[in-house]
Amino acid sequence: MTVVPAQQTGGGGGSSGLYDVLELVLDRGLVIDAFVRVSLVGIEILKIDVRVVVASVDTYLRFAEACNRLDLEAGPRKDPGLPDLVGSITESGARGKSKGALSGAAQTISDAFQQARGESEGESRPRTRKSTASRRKEEQE
Amino acid sequence: MSTYVYGITASTHPALPEGMDGVGTPPRKVRILKEGDLAAVVSDAPEGLRPKRKDLLAHQNVLSEAGAAGCVLPMRFGSVATDDKSVTDVLAERADHYKERLGALDGRVEYNIKANHVEEAVLHHVMAENQQIRALAEANRKAGGGSYEAKIQLGEMVAAAVQAREAEDARALRSVLEPQAEAVSVGPESTGWLANVSFLVGRDAAEEFLAAVERARAELPHLEVRVNGPLPPYSFVEPGPAEPAGAAAGGGAGTGAG
Repeated sequence: MTVVPAQQTGGGGGSSGLYDVLELVLDRGLVIDAFVRVSLVGIEILKIDVRVVVASVDTYLRFAEACNRLDLEAGPRKDPGLPDLVGSITESGARGKSKGALSGAAQTISDAFQQARGESEGESRPRTRKSTASRRKEEQE
Repeated sequence: MSTYVYGITASTHPALPEGMDGVGTPPRKVRILKEGDLAAVVSDAPEGLRPKRKDLLAHQNVLSEAGAAGCVLPMRFGSVATDDKSVTDVLAERADHYKERLGALDGRVEYNIKANHVEEAVLHHVMAENQQIRALAEANRKAGGGSYEAKIQLGEMVAAAVQAREAEDARALRSVLEPQAEAVSVGPESTGWLANVSFLVGRDAAEEFLAAVERARAELPHLEVRVNGPLPPYSFVEPGPAEPAGAAAGGGAGTGAG
C-alpha cells in the first residue's frame, strides 16, 4: 500500500493519476469538529472551476470539428492515421479555454497542482483562470 | 505547539509509521499518541500549512503506510488540534464510535475508480447510433465544414448524445464492479470524469475486484478506466454517505461525501 497510485493505466498520464488520489485526500476522510482545518482557499477555487457546465459553444465547435474529421468507415481505432488527428484535437481542446466535456477539467486541475508545487509558503496561489487565460492567449499568437 | 492529525487506529495496530516524514518543510516527524484502545497518528503542525501537493502527498503516504499493516481511519487533509492533549481527549470522548468504525472497516480497503470517454471512440458510437447526427455531419463536411450555425447545431446534438452516453456508461461500469464490493460511495460530479466512484473491498477480495475492472475495460472499450488503490477507506469513515453495494445504481450521479 505504499505505492500511490498502485495502478496506472495507459491513457491516464501521471498527473491525472496523482490528482485522482489527492481529490480523495482533500474531499473525503474523517472530519472532527473539535479540530481546526487549514485554509483550503486555493483548492476551493479549483473545485468550483472543475464543476463548470459541460455544454458551451466551445465544446460544440470542438465536437463539430471532430465529427467532420471522423472517418466513419474506419471504425474506432482502426485507421492508423486517425488517432493522431483526433488526439491533437482533443489536446488543443483540453489546453485551450474550453474545458472539454471529456478531459479538459482534469487537465486544468492537474496543471494547477503543478503550479502549486513550486509555490512558496507565503505567496498567494496563482489563479487558475488567469493561467488558463494566458494559455489561451499563447495559443492565439 | 499545535498538532496535525493524520488518522486514528487501534493501539494494537502492529506497525504504526512512527518517525516517518509527515507534512511541512522540513517534514515534521510522525508521532503516535495512545489513549486506551485507540491511537492517533500525528505530527507537529507546521505554521501556515496550505494544501500544497507535497503536503497532500505526505498526508497520503503516512496513511498508506499505516493502512498497509492494519486498519486506519484517515482524516481529511488539514486537521489541526490545539495540542496533543486535545487529540487524546477526543479519542477518550468518542472511543466507542471510533472503535465501532475500526471494527467495521477492518480488513477492507478503498478502490477509487474514475472513468472518461475515449473521445474518438465515443464520437464513433454516437455517430453510428444517430442517423440525424450522421446526416448533419455529412452535410457540414460537404459544405467544407459548414456555417457557424450548422457547426453549433451539430456540436450541440453531439454533446447531448455524449452526455447521455456518459450516464449510461457510468451505470454499466458500476454494474460490473458493484458485485465485487461491500459498499459504494459516489464522489462529486465533474466534467473531468463520467464516473467517480469508490468501492469498499475486502483485502482478500482485491484480486476479484481488479479482475472485474479488467472485465469492465474489455466490455466498455470506449472508456478509459483509472484505478487507484488500495487506499485507506477515505470514503467510508462515516457510515452516512456510503451505500451498500448492490443498491440500485442511481446513474452514477449525486454527491457522496461532500
